[in-house]
Amino acid sequence: MNEQDRRKRRALMAFQIFIYGYLLLMFGIQLSMWATRNW
Amino acid sequence: MSTPTAGQQSPANGKSTDEDLAPGTTKQWAGLHKWLKRGLMVCLVGLVIEGSFDLPFLAIWYGWPTLSMHDICSELMKVRYNNESLECQYPYRFPGPPLSGAPEAAAVDTARDKWGIQPVPEYPRLGFRELVRMHDERIARQNAANNIAPHP
Amino acid sequence: MNLPLMNRRSGDGKKRVTSSVAGSGTVDDRYEEGRLAQRQADKWLIAGALLIGANGVAGTLGLPLFLWGLKLQRDASKAGLTVRPIMVTLIGYLVIVDAGLNLQGWILDMVANHSLIYRVLYTAIGNVMDGGYFWHYNQLWIGGAAAPGEKGWEFACILVVFPMRIAAAIAFLQMKRWGQQWLLVTCWFGVVIWVGYVMNMTEYADVRYAHVVFPVLGWWIFDIMYITPFLAIPYLHTVNRDIFSE
Repeated sequence: MNEQDRRKRRALMAFQIFIYGYLLLMFGIQLSMWATRNW
Repeated sequence: MSTPTAGQQSPANGKSTDEDLAPGTTKQWAGLHKWLKRGLMVCLVGLVIEGSFDLPFLAIWYGWPTLSMHDICSELMKVRYNNESLECQYPYRFPGPPLSGAPEAAAVDTARDKWGIQPVPEYPRLGFRELVRMHDERIARQNAANNIAPHP
Repeated sequence: MNLPLMNRRSGDGKKRVTSSVAGSGTVDDRYEEGRLAQRQADKWLIAGALLIGANGVAGTLGLPLFLWGLKLQRDASKAGLTVRPIMVTLIGYLVIVDAGLNLQGWILDMVANHSLIYRVLYTAIGNVMDGGYFWHYNQLWIGGAAAPGEKGWEFACILVVFPMRIAAAIAFLQMKRWGQQWLLVTCWFGVVIWVGYVMNMTEYADVRYAHVVFPVLGWWIFDIMYITPFLAIPYLHTVNRDIFSE
């Protein structure tokens, strides 16, 4: 159980890093577009 | 065999001896669940605030009540398609898209865009209650033109 | 062997529970009390959720009702009654509200895009923060938002994702095992949607953000409140599944 839980914890952390990282990345890309384009 | 009470240790339902744990939450995930709960409450309150205030905010930004809903619809259409002759048809002929019939801007080609594989719109940014100003200016202009025109 | 604990099923008691401990009249009574307390709390929760989902100023009325329902449930839980865990309640109702709001918005963009109120509301929202709902609005043969890719996402979500998610959330609130499983599946759909939808927006960023009143920030502050699936997924993966029945 413990090993399974540890693997689960790591997987969930990976998932959260991925999805929130993705959102931050896209937000950042859009912000940089805003800075350079004539919006 | 004792009658089970809340908080009694049992591997069956995954509760530990800590009485504060909710059913389904085990000790190692309690921290995660606490933060998830906080995030969920923030989302809930956020959704409520957004849902309540977006319509009034938009209405006021775009000129209500000085402009009626019908006026706002027509003004936004004029800005969208860069065409002062467009008006919102109200009520729109039944049944309309998506069932049948042409959409309201079907044959309009006056919109200002930089076309290409990455289109870039070129309508103006609308400031606070700018639609009211545009509306009034246009009416004044049209009145002035009408006053000048009829004289032989 | 703590059989009663194994059989304990919290929730609104749609399933008949059999307790096999001798002399367990009090356990059944407590169970019935818990069921009634949960139903009482659910009345407030449902009323609150409906008002919140109705959008508009009614939402501010809905929130106190909803919070009151949560409080009733928490009080019952502290009194030792068998009620649904707060997290299950919160996730279940919030998923329904989230999916309901999205469904409303997109169904109306599909079928009511020529009504006066939605022509005003959507083009106004479009002009304020998401040019996809302003740019050439009502010029496609199908009407509504004309941003590239938008209608595809709308359709997939209206027809598949959100109805399934609502159905799963209702079953989840009833503490059914299939509810927990399918809520997990449909929340993972949500990950796909967010990744694809945001990428589509970024690809056509000019259409979405050029000359809107609040570029980028407007959309993100507004739509970040819809990340309920990302909060539900870790819980659904780590909740002890024994508390869900059948």
